[in-house]
Amino acid sequence: MLVSESRALGTKINKRHMKKHSKIFLSAILLQLLVNAVFAQAEKNSLSLSVGYFNSNNQTQYLIARAKSKIDGKFQMIPGISVSFYISTETPENLLGKAVTNDKGEALIFMPPKAKDEWMKSAKVGFLVSSASTKLFDEAKGSFDLTKAKILIDTAADKKITATVMELKDSVWTPVKAVDVKIAIKRLDADLNVADAPTYATDSLGIASADFKRDSLPGDAKGNLTLIAKVEDNDLYGNLSAEKVVPWGKSFKYYSEFDKRTLFARRGKSPMWLELLAYSIVVAVWGVLIYLVGQIKKLKKLGVN
Amino acid sequence: MESLAKQKIIEDLLPQKFGKAGKIWVVILLAFCTLGFVAYCMQLSKGLVVTAMRDYVSWGIYISNFVFFVAISLVGSLITAVLRLSQAKWSTPLTRIAEIIAVSAITFASIIIVVDMGRPDRFYNLFIHARLQSPIVWDVIVITTYFFVSILLLYFPLLPDMAILMKFKDKTGMAWLNKMYAFLGSFWKNTKAQIHISEKAVNILSITIIPVAFAIHTVTSWLFATTYRPGWDSTNFGAYFISGAFLVGAGAVVVAMYVFRKAYHLEKYIQNEHFDKMGKVLVMLALLYLYFNVNEFLVPAFKMKKSEEEHLMGLFTGEFAPVFWFAISTAMIIPILILITKRGRKPLPAFIAGLLVVIGSWFKRYLIVTPTLLHPFLPMHDVPEAYKHYFPTWQEWAIALGSLAGALLIVTLFARIFPIIPIQETITEIEEHEMSITKI
Repeated sequence: MLVSESRALGTKINKRHMKKHSKIFLSAILLQLLVNAVFAQAEKNSLSLSVGYFNSNNQTQYLIARAKSKIDGKFQMIPGISVSFYISTETPENLLGKAVTNDKGEALIFMPPKAKDEWMKSAKVGFLVSSASTKLFDEAKGSFDLTKAKILIDTAADKKITATVMELKDSVWTPVKAVDVKIAIKRLDADLNVADAPTYATDSLGIASADFKRDSLPGDAKGNLTLIAKVEDNDLYGNLSAEKVVPWGKSFKYYSEFDKRTLFARRGKSPMWLELLAYSIVVAVWGVLIYLVGQIKKLKKLGVN
Repeated sequence: MESLAKQKIIEDLLPQKFGKAGKIWVVILLAFCTLGFVAYCMQLSKGLVVTAMRDYVSWGIYISNFVFFVAISLVGSLITAVLRLSQAKWSTPLTRIAEIIAVSAITFASIIIVVDMGRPDRFYNLFIHARLQSPIVWDVIVITTYFFVSILLLYFPLLPDMAILMKFKDKTGMAWLNKMYAFLGSFWKNTKAQIHISEKAVNILSITIIPVAFAIHTVTSWLFATTYRPGWDSTNFGAYFISGAFLVGAGAVVVAMYVFRKAYHLEKYIQNEHFDKMGKVLVMLALLYLYFNVNEFLVPAFKMKKSEEEHLMGLFTGEFAPVFWFAISTAMIIPILILITKRGRKPLPAFIAGLLVVIGSWFKRYLIVTPTLLHPFLPMHDVPEAYKHYFPTWQEWAIALGSLAGALLIVTLFARIFPIIPIQETITEIEEHEMSITKI
């Protein structure tokens, strides 16, 4: 009896404790949810902004800013970020322009003529990019310090290609040693190496050489190929490229099947073999049928006679 | 052969007036034709919107019916040409039945295509804008050719009978019929020269009709097989269609044999032996078609490519499974089980088997055409739910049934006007048989 009573008392106490604890537990969860909700609203992802300099064929200069952020443990390119581009300093007079990042997280601007004075001031020039704070991302900044450089491409006998890289030092173009240069053939969507090695290092004269080993490569109608020498993502010089057209390819003439005699062509343009085959069968079979109709006439004649 | 016996054969085989059952049968067929015509008039006035055909299923039961008609028409070449060329004399009483089935089926195959086009006034576009590369154009050419070959194959053996019909014109009892007989065959004098020309013509036609018949159904199969779709993307389709066509055609002949035998009391001419032999032919054709079906479904099912899976599973266990297994059972398995035994090849069981083959084969054509259209490789976005299913409207059913009734009406009226069993050929064969016995 006593045992059972003490057990019942114990159960009552446990229940009372549980009730008390469960209230505390539920309150803690609610508090946590509230805190999470408040912080979730305030929490923003940090944005990483970088800028790259591009000089295409020593003519067109442009800058590309890239916006990325770490989301769910992975870096993802962020579209829709408005980026401001500056030269030298982040001041309104040095603003080169603004652009919005695309699906790849890239925003591009061409160097405007108004940047000429600032560009000419020194052999080295800095580029800055910045984006304002948004609902999802903090404000971000990026920069690139460029040492002015150029790349030249030339060809010699025996289909030898030379690329020369020079930097501007005290208003003088000076060859640069040990720069990796990609020497390739420009194709539709990518570059094709001229030989086995993809890149070549410059020597003390700033020259990198490669032998053209792509015989019978289809070129344009005249057999022209476009050679390209590139310095890619260099910490000092950015991205430089130079192109040269050479008649080293095989002449390629585009042959259009449009409006030719094919199985998929329009009416009246069926292949000759099909027409011959089809019409011969039709003529042969209908020839037999016409002959047999003639036989009916013959039967009629025989009947009348 | 004694003239008395000859007289008896002629009297037995001359076309007879419809009895009460015949008249009811014709009225029923006419009622279906009228209903079909009314439905077609509705379709003409309101457009194809009265059908259940939409962007997914653009070929519904009209095209199923077309394929069925083309298939059944192949029987003309089977009975008339193949059996004639293989010297199977027993098939003589069946040749005309086969040929008239072929002519009526091919006529309605052409009509149903025009119905499916929607606007018949645009039919001429098929000719003025025809692309020779298109299987549809080949189909037009080959159907027209097959129609003329079948008409000639029906007409030449009919000439000697026409002379007999004119001789017994008092028995036909209608002046306009006698005028028609005279127009069609008054020149037939049964001379040696005429018989020689006629026999030669029939032989030429028998040889010509085989490749044309193969072409007609192969081209029909190519309408599907040249299209890249689940269920149609097959190199097996030509042979698959031809074997199926021979089966349904032979089934239709067995049904017609039984009906004509019963209706016109032709037991002496369409004998148990004919049912026995046609039963064997049916078993062979059903096995052949079953073999092609196994090929057609087992091979893709073994691979079960993602794009084909939905279509195949729809047939095996899904939405179309009841129709699929019904068609396989009625068109092939049950007829084989009935006809494999000698007792099963007696007239009544053979008739039932033939009927099952015909019914099952119609549904088989429906399964070839429609489920594939519901499972395109590149489904459309945001189509109404109704587009993803197909069930024919009453107008479609009425037109389809009307066309089937129309084909049966042609056969029925032909049997009223012309002898359904060749009279002269039967007499000649009996004479030849008697002569060979006398020689022995």
